[in-house]
Amino acid sequence: MLLAAQTTRSVWDGVYTSAQAERGAALYANNCASCHGSALGGGESAPPLTGGEFSSNWNGLTVGDLFERIRTTMPADRPGKLTREQDADVLAYMLSVSEFPPGKAELERQTEVLKQIRIEPKP
Amino acid sequence: MYRSVLLACITLSVYGQQPSTKSGEWPYYTADLKGTKYSPADQINADNFKQLEVAWRFKTDNFGTRPEYKLEGTPVMVKGVLYTTAGTRRSVVALDAKTGEVIWAYSLREGNRAAIAPRQLSGRGVSYWTDGKGDDRIVFVTTGYRLVVLNAHTGQPVSSFGKNGIVDLKEGMVSGTGQQIALETGEAGLHSTPLVVKDVVIVGSSFKEGMTVVTHSNTKGNVRAFDVRSGKLLWTFNTIPRPGELGNETWENGSWATNGNTGVWTQMTVDEDLGLVYLPVETPTSDFYGGHRPGNNLFAESLVCVDLKTGKRKWHFQVVHHPIWDYDLSSAPILADINVNGKAIKAVALPSKEAFLYVFDRVTGEPVWPIEERPVPQSDVPGEKTSPTQPFPTKPPAYGRQYVKVPDDLIDFTPELRAQAKDNVARYKTGPMFLPPIVGDSNLIGALTLGTASGGTNWPGAGYDPETHIVYAQANQSALFPISMRTPPEGFSDIRYVMGRNGTEFRVSEGPGFGSAADAPQQPRPSPAKAAPAKPTAPPAAPVGALTVQGLSVLKPPYAVISAINLDRGDLQWQVPYGETPDVVRNSPALRGMNIGNTGQPGSVGLVVTKTLVILGDSQITTTPQHPRGAMLRAYDKATGREVGAVLMPAPQSGSPMTYVVDGRQYIVVAVSGGAYSGEYIAYSLPTNN
Repeated sequence: MLLAAQTTRSVWDGVYTSAQAERGAALYANNCASCHGSALGGGESAPPLTGGEFSSNWNGLTVGDLFERIRTTMPADRPGKLTREQDADVLAYMLSVSEFPPGKAELERQTEVLKQIRIEPKP
Repeated sequence: MYRSVLLACITLSVYGQQPSTKSGEWPYYTADLKGTKYSPADQINADNFKQLEVAWRFKTDNFGTRPEYKLEGTPVMVKGVLYTTAGTRRSVVALDAKTGEVIWAYSLREGNRAAIAPRQLSGRGVSYWTDGKGDDRIVFVTTGYRLVVLNAHTGQPVSSFGKNGIVDLKEGMVSGTGQQIALETGEAGLHSTPLVVKDVVIVGSSFKEGMTVVTHSNTKGNVRAFDVRSGKLLWTFNTIPRPGELGNETWENGSWATNGNTGVWTQMTVDEDLGLVYLPVETPTSDFYGGHRPGNNLFAESLVCVDLKTGKRKWHFQVVHHPIWDYDLSSAPILADINVNGKAIKAVALPSKEAFLYVFDRVTGEPVWPIEERPVPQSDVPGEKTSPTQPFPTKPPAYGRQYVKVPDDLIDFTPELRAQAKDNVARYKTGPMFLPPIVGDSNLIGALTLGTASGGTNWPGAGYDPETHIVYAQANQSALFPISMRTPPEGFSDIRYVMGRNGTEFRVSEGPGFGSAADAPQQPRPSPAKAAPAKPTAPPAAPVGALTVQGLSVLKPPYAVISAINLDRGDLQWQVPYGETPDVVRNSPALRGMNIGNTGQPGSVGLVVTKTLVILGDSQITTTPQHPRGAMLRAYDKATGREVGAVLMPAPQSGSPMTYVVDGRQYIVVAVSGGAYSGEYIAYSLPTNN
């Protein structure tokens, strides 16, 4: 029990930095916004990346799950176009839009590490 | 008893009869040719629904170069075999209906032709044909718009059909005044299932998304019939009438020649006995600007009845004149033999994004209850000439919200939430149904419409009980859709207005699944010269005119509803919220301590009607005290709308469910996907010891 508490974090624990989110914002505008909307609200072809529908899809899963979804299938017309670092930056931006707090360390690019960060509603 | 009756029926079907829901099969996308989605199967009922277990599951990841997250197929089931499409390659698979074991799989490698197709991903499924003597065929349309006929037993193309089993559907598709489109790169596709009736295959057509089009003169829609044995073209119905054809004059200034689209992208239905086919036609180019096509634009957004043998028009009814709202006719027309005031009527009922059920005598086209032309708001977008009136059915009543009535339709859990919602909505033009698009600016950022692009009943359609004459329809009534038009950037398009707002960065909108075919990556569509790299923007936590307040929709619940509509009386028998309250609402700090009841959840899904139940799944994942994280497949009592059971699915329902009976056991199969969960067909049945 104690071990679990030490090795798992949640999106509320400051898991990315503001600078990383800023880099991600530029990447988002150029690679994601045409389908998911400039305010991440989604479009006819793509779901929103913030708000109720988004959180219902991802609450209970991990940042690693979301990272893998992005990494393996996005952008839809060029999956794999972005590097792992860039995917992590975009993810940091998405977390910032959903108002998860920034922290001191950047979001990692290893799926295994990200899988230890839970996505959950505000405690 | 149940089992022996059923076996007798199956035996009959093997000897020359056509497959049928009466023998436990599900031989068409919509269960039957009448579009009912009805099966008389009754082993699964209100008492035992919650005992359902997963009988088998079929993951579609490897039917393409990457997983699909938008699996929309509905299998057909004939003689113990399930046939459907799967994966980003849009492969066809035959599965053992009892175990899910793969019997065969077929795919066509279409390269760039599929990668640039306007309708990608696995599509809605396949169709079945039999001569009743052992020549059994599977008919489907590839991502690259080829009609393929396979031997149902082997999965091999039937070489006597077309060229080695294939008819190239792009041959005969034209733009302008009749210019053949390029076979490789020309714009045309389809992801509905072909309509197979007698020895005829009827296919529609669909095109790219219509929000930011590069030309208003793109490919013209049509509906064509082919001989199922030879692949020979039998007839073509021009949904944009040519000179000399009825309706050509509704494209004023000769604009028939310079506009496209107007296909049929959803399921069609047919009355075999009357020999009449019912075509639900979509929007012309573009979805939201009609300035290059003055007039009513027949047969856009019309229900058209044509002769099965000749394709000649028998009657039509245009449900939206001069369409500029993307109210594409979305759903299979339902054939219903009803009794109104003691009079028997062969009717056709059309569910819609408008949440109107349009009901006609299907022989004559006369509305069963009067449909009135009423004045509607007029457009002030330059060059646009809206129709002064639009049709409004007087019965049955609308079965979902049709526009945003301020303030009545706004969130009212607390006065504070309503006040915030009013403030946000004040940034939009609001008004009654058929509120036209505006040229938005920083002051008024768009026309706030509801249900236009994705509301009411969408592509999965509705269902119907032929015994009780009741239509069951799910309707999304929270699909807010702000529409603002802008001039396109220099050189992008020949159309005067595209979707967007002047003064903001122009973005090209892509259609569903675009770029996700197995053969993508690919070149993106032509886009305007790139502006300077976007600057990091401040997180848009509360953007101006947000359609949410404190994370909640500005609209009040229910967010979606299920309705039972009595077609003998033309009224609503019952209406209940669809699904259950989303997590974001149930856990909202703004609502803490309040009893908010069941708000339903937004979304547009298909359903199955059985002897006693209406069955449909959630469109959202929830985690509640009653169930772990997942989406529920739910059964509702047909008589009352009361939920009588639910079973957990790992992901939202993304395809319309179906049901069948094999060897005395009833199954329900549903396609699920979304979020982190890639496409999967799941079969549920009762425990074997039940």
